[in-house]
Amino acid sequence: MGTISSAFGLIAGALNADQSALSIVANNVANANTPGYTVENPKWQENDPVQINGVSYGDGVTETGAASQRDSVLVARLDQQQQSASASGARLTALNSIQALFTPDSGSSTSTAGDIGSDITSFFSSFSSLEANPTDTSLDEQVLSSATTLAGDISNAAASLNTQRSGLDQEASGVTAQVNSLTGTISQLNQQIQSASPHADAGTLEDQRDEDVSQLSQLIGINQVTTENNGLSITTTSGQLLVSEGSSYQLTSGSVNGVTDFFLGGADVTKQLMSGGGELGGYITARDQDIPNALTSLDQLAYNVSTQVNNLNNSGTDLNGVEGTGTNQAGVTGTGTVPLYIFNEPTVVAGYAASMTAVMTDPSQVASAALGAGTGDNSNATAMANLAKQTIVDGLTPTDFYSNFVSTLGATVSGVQAENTAQNASVTQLQTQNNALSKVNLNDEAAAMSTMESSYQAASQVFTMLNTIMASVLNLGQQSTVS
Amino acid sequence: MRVDPSYVSNLVSSLDQSQFNEQQLTAELSSGVSITSLSQNPVASGENVLLLNQIQQDDSFTQSSSLVTSQLQVADSSLGSVVSQLTQAVSLATSANNGTMNASDVKSIGNQISGILDEVQSLANTSYQGQYIFAGGQTSTTPFATSATTSPAVTTYSGDQDINYLQTPNGQRIQLNVPGSQIFLGTGTSSVFGALNSLIADYASGTVNTAQAVSDTTALGTALNYVSQQRVTVDNSITQLTAASDAVTSDQTQVTSAQTNLMQADVALVSTQLSLSETQQTALEDVISQLDSASNSLFSKMQ
Repeated sequence: MGTISSAFGLIAGALNADQSALSIVANNVANANTPGYTVENPKWQENDPVQINGVSYGDGVTETGAASQRDSVLVARLDQQQQSASASGARLTALNSIQALFTPDSGSSTSTAGDIGSDITSFFSSFSSLEANPTDTSLDEQVLSSATTLAGDISNAAASLNTQRSGLDQEASGVTAQVNSLTGTISQLNQQIQSASPHADAGTLEDQRDEDVSQLSQLIGINQVTTENNGLSITTTSGQLLVSEGSSYQLTSGSVNGVTDFFLGGADVTKQLMSGGGELGGYITARDQDIPNALTSLDQLAYNVSTQVNNLNNSGTDLNGVEGTGTNQAGVTGTGTVPLYIFNEPTVVAGYAASMTAVMTDPSQVASAALGAGTGDNSNATAMANLAKQTIVDGLTPTDFYSNFVSTLGATVSGVQAENTAQNASVTQLQTQNNALSKVNLNDEAAAMSTMESSYQAASQVFTMLNTIMASVLNLGQQSTVS
Repeated sequence: MRVDPSYVSNLVSSLDQSQFNEQQLTAELSSGVSITSLSQNPVASGENVLLLNQIQQDDSFTQSSSLVTSQLQVADSSLGSVVSQLTQAVSLATSANNGTMNASDVKSIGNQISGILDEVQSLANTSYQGQYIFAGGQTSTTPFATSATTSPAVTTYSGDQDINYLQTPNGQRIQLNVPGSQIFLGTGTSSVFGALNSLIADYASGTVNTAQAVSDTTALGTALNYVSQQRVTVDNSITQLTAASDAVTSDQTQVTSAQTNLMQADVALVSTQLSLSETQQTALEDVISQLDSASNSLFSKMQ
C-alpha cells in the first residue's frame, strides 16, 4: 500500500528529474551555435514499481542523463562527401589559376598581349610578309621581334606554371601538420571515450570526435571503422592506418625528385593520396597531373616550333649571303660555319618551354633564301611560313595544337567545376539533413522548456497539496497546530 | 517534420551566388566579351584560336599583296616601255634596211639603236626599293652589263633563274618575278640584247649587209614578241593577286564576324539576365531581413 510519505519521495524525484531535464534544455540553448554540437534530449526512465501485497505501485521517474541525437551513418556519409567536395574544390582553385594564364583573346588589339595563339600566328605571318619582300630588313626585324614575343610568352607561361606547382607543393605539405594534429586529438578522444562510455554514445566527447573527423575529411581522404568499446579507427581511402583506437600514425613528408612526397609508416603514399580525396588529394592531383599536363603541351609546342624553324633557317641563306650549317631537303649542306638559329636549339623536350628564348639578335641572319640562291630568293621564307600549315606538333599544326590545348584545358576546368558544384550540392543536402536531426532547434527547445515548466509546476503543486494533506494527518483534523 | 534550423545561412549562400552572377554579368557588359575564361566555353575558346589565326593570316596576306602588287606594276610598266622602245628600234632598222639611206644616215640609225639598247638595258636593270626586279634571286647585283670589247658587243646577265612565289592563305602560289635572262636573253633568236647588239654592229660601218641586217631585224621582231609574252606572265600575276586579295578580304570579313559572334557578349541577353539576377537578389535580401527582424522562434512568444 502506497503512503503519503512515499508520494512525497516520488514527487520530490519528479522535481529533481524536471530540474535536470531543464538544465539539459538550457545547455542545448546555450550551445545553439556551437560547431559540432549535437542536440541532447533528456532520458526519462520510469522507476521500478513497488509490489506491496501483490499490488504494484508506480515509483516515479528518474532522469538518467542526456542522449545526443546523432545519426552516425549520416555523419559518416557527410564526411565522405566532404572529402570529394574539398578535393575537387582544391583542384578547381588550382585549375582556375592555370587557365588564367591562357585567357581567351577577344580579338581586339589590346587583348592580344600574352596570348600564345596570337603569338604563333604573328610569328609565322612574319615569314609570309617576308615572302613578299625577302630583302626588307624591317620585315626581318619583325620576324625576330615576333620570335622574341612568342618565346617570351611561352617561357613566361611555363615559369608561372612551375611557380604554381611549387606553391601547391607547399600548400600540400602544409596540410600534413594539420592532419597529424587532428589524428593525434582523435586518438586521445578515442581513449577518453573508450574508458568513459564504452557501450553508449559519449555525448560531448563524441561531438568533438565527429567534428575532428569532419575536419580531417576536408583535408584528406579517409575511411572510418568503428571498433569495440566505441572506439574509432581511421585509414586513408587506400587503407593505410592513420588512427587505430588510442594511437595515431604520423603522416610525414619529404622531398623526392624536387617535389614533396608523403609517407605513412615508411611507405610512399603520394599516389594513393592523390586519388583519395580531401584538399590534399586535390592539391596533389593539380600538382602531379594537371600542371604537368599543361607543361608537357607547352614543351611539345615550343620544342617542335623551335626545332623546325631552327632547322629551316639554318639550311638557308641569310641577307648577308651567308649560308647556315644545316642540310636542306635536297640533301645540300650549307657552307656556313656558324649555325643560324632563331631560338635556342632545344636538346630535350621536357622543360624546354621554360627555357625557350629567341637567341638571334641580327635581323640580317634571317635566312629567307634557299641554300645556293641569291639573297632575293624567298623560297626558304616560304618554307618557314608553310610550317604554320604543317602538322609539326604531335600530328597537328602549331595553331591547331594550341587550340586543342586550350579546349582540353577549358574542358578539364569546366568538368571539375561541374563536379565540384554537384558535390557541394550533395554536401549541402546532407548537411541540411544532419542539421535537421542534430542541430539545436530553438522552437523544439522552447516547446520542451514550456512542457517541462508545466510539469515542474504541476509537481510542485502536488507537493504543496501533499504538504497540506500531511498537516491534516498530523493534526488529526485540528486546524491550528501544524500548518 | 524536421527542418534545418540554420536555413538563413543557406539563404546567404544563395545571395552570394546571385551576387557572383551579377558580378560576372556586369563584367561581360563592361568588357563586351562573353568568354573571359577557357572553362566558360572550352569549345568556343579553341575555335577562337583558329579564327583569330585565320584573321591574322588574311590580314598579313592583304598587306603582302599590296606590297607585291606595286612591285609587279613597276615590272609591268618597265616591260611596257621596253616594248615601245623595241618597236621603235624595229621601225628604225626596217627603214635602214630598205637600201635608200646613205652611210651617215645608217650610222645615225646605228647610234639611235645604240641609244635604245642603253635605254632597254637601264629598264632591264630597274630596281624597286633598292632591289633589282629582273635579276632572279640576285636582287642586289646589277643584272645586265654590255661589254663592247667584241663586235657585236655582248650583253651578259649576272642574275639567276630564281623565281619567287607568294602563297595565298589557301595555298595558291602566285609568281612574283620573271628572271631577266628569260625576258631579255631568250633562247636562240629571241634574245633582245643579242638582236640589238647585232643590229648596232650591222649599222656601225655605214654599209649595210642587207641580208644579215634583215635577218637581225626579224630576230628583233621575234624578241619583241617574246618580251610581250613575258609581260603577260606579270600581268597575270597582278590579276591573280587582285583576285586573291579580294577573296581574302571577303573571307576575313566573314571570319571576323564569326569570331565576333563567338566572343562578343549578347548585350540584350546579358542585360535580361542581369535584371533577373537583380530581382532575385532583392527578393533574397527581403526574405533574409524579414526572417532576421521578426524573431523566428517560439522563445519570442514566451513570457
